[in-house]
Amino acid sequence: MSDVEMDGGVALGDQLVDQTNAMDIQSPPTTSKTAASMTESTLSSRRPVNVEKPTPYTFDLGNLLANDPNPVELTSTSNLEETLSANARDAAQALINQLLSTCELKSTTEGVHLVLPQASTPLPREKPIPAEKAPTKWELFAKKKGIENKKRDTKLVYDEATGEWVPKWGYKGKNKEGENEWLVEVDEKKEKETGVAHDARSESRAARKERVRRNDRKQRSNERNARKTT
Amino acid sequence: MLKQAKPKNARAKRAMDKRAPQAHENPKTTLFVAGQKTSQILKLATADLRTLKKPFVESFMKKNDIHPFEDASSLEFFSLKNDTSLLVMSLHSKKRPNCLTLCRTFDHKILDMLELYINAESFRTLQQFKNKKPAIGLKPLIAFHGTVFEDPNQTKWTLAKSLLLDLFRGQEAGEVDVEGLQYMISISAEEPEEGKLQPQLHIRFYLIKTLKSGQKLPRVEVEEMGPRIDAALGREQFADPDMMKAALKKPKGEEPRTKKNIDMDIMGDKVGKIHVGKQDFKSLQTRKMKGLKRGRTPDQDTSMADANTDENTTDGGSPTTPKRTKV
Repeated sequence: MSDVEMDGGVALGDQLVDQTNAMDIQSPPTTSKTAASMTESTLSSRRPVNVEKPTPYTFDLGNLLANDPNPVELTSTSNLEETLSANARDAAQALINQLLSTCELKSTTEGVHLVLPQASTPLPREKPIPAEKAPTKWELFAKKKGIENKKRDTKLVYDEATGEWVPKWGYKGKNKEGENEWLVEVDEKKEKETGVAHDARSESRAARKERVRRNDRKQRSNERNARKTT
Repeated sequence: MLKQAKPKNARAKRAMDKRAPQAHENPKTTLFVAGQKTSQILKLATADLRTLKKPFVESFMKKNDIHPFEDASSLEFFSLKNDTSLLVMSLHSKKRPNCLTLCRTFDHKILDMLELYINAESFRTLQQFKNKKPAIGLKPLIAFHGTVFEDPNQTKWTLAKSLLLDLFRGQEAGEVDVEGLQYMISISAEEPEEGKLQPQLHIRFYLIKTLKSGQKLPRVEVEEMGPRIDAALGREQFADPDMMKAALKKPKGEEPRTKKNIDMDIMGDKVGKIHVGKQDFKSLQTRKMKGLKRGRTPDQDTSMADANTDENTTDGGSPTTPKRTKV
């Protein structure tokens, strides 16, 4: 089967015998150079790529996982590493064969990519699935009435007076238009009623501030209701 | 449980949103915690695991007096504070030598735990194998060898498989670069036999080399790159079934839509099955002949008599006038 790598495995094993019980050895085994040279010499021969096992492997390609349900027999400690690496080689070969034959190949400028399927081995999540947001009072009403969401793709609106695009709200927003007029008309009727000088600028600002506060109130009440229901 | 504070600024809010439960989750981060007493073997083993797990790693430098099987609340707290759902605890004692405890949390509560007693004799580090190591953050190939991992019931071994797969699988990826398939993790266990010691778990890391085979598929060879870990399984704590069920739930709309009626035949050609709707023979244009033409001035009586039956009996089953049959 893999006689080439087997030689490497043996060579590796011999060196490891010397250094058993010596964790702090600084010159660990030099890797199987013999194996490398032998692979070069046998390059011309046709190497087998098929893996035959009594029980076939099962794969989970989403996790790059191969399950080998065949019993592992490790009879002695001497051939332990050989058996393990032979098994690993077979699994790697089978897995790569499976990947290359069933997955779609996509070649891009960065390289050749394999498109993996969804992982099939069930693994637990880290956190629970987020709960769905409770609908607000407005959302319920809109659903009842069949009101569709208005599409709001931009913050900018066209200002007819200046011929410019200005933001709807925020810095220099359209909603602050009446607040910084240099000259405003006095509503005499209102002035007479209240007895104080009427200022349209402060009135419009107060109205805007109140709208914001009202929205906050509604938001809080929606949150409160959502907490109550769950 | 910490009190959930309201974020005071946008950056804090972003950080909190990142930690909040998400439908599509980030890869799990692993936290390495050392117990009150560790050994050289454990230090080396965790160091190697950390290098292989990069960049999804957090580790504590100081020792912590934690015994996970007695009280795991500290681990739950660490999981919450560091947003890590996998914990690897190393603790060495006379009774449980070189013990590595793999813990997994769900919603920052301990889900399951398993102890691995590393065999000091056969342990080898990553550095003891002098060869080229794979780049950081690559997704490994994983293989499990042995019948014990295929048990349909929940055993120590299936738990070990689930935990090790979760620990090593890396980032979830829709596609991988072929160049990135550089190493394999092979985990094997023998058959358990009566009257013998429990079989050991052999965890091996191999570099993958592909050679030309003269065929379409390459010939694969492996070379051990380390670390080499042999471990006996110790105590375990299985997941609570309800908790596991909640953890295994899949968010809606995640599974891809199955493409109906598209198959691949033996030759590898894409075959689509098309369902044609029922053909309407009424509107079918047949050969035009003078004899089949409708009369220029239809008989008033017959058409009036027909008008009633026309809607109900559109099929030519009922007796009709000669004029109708021509249509």
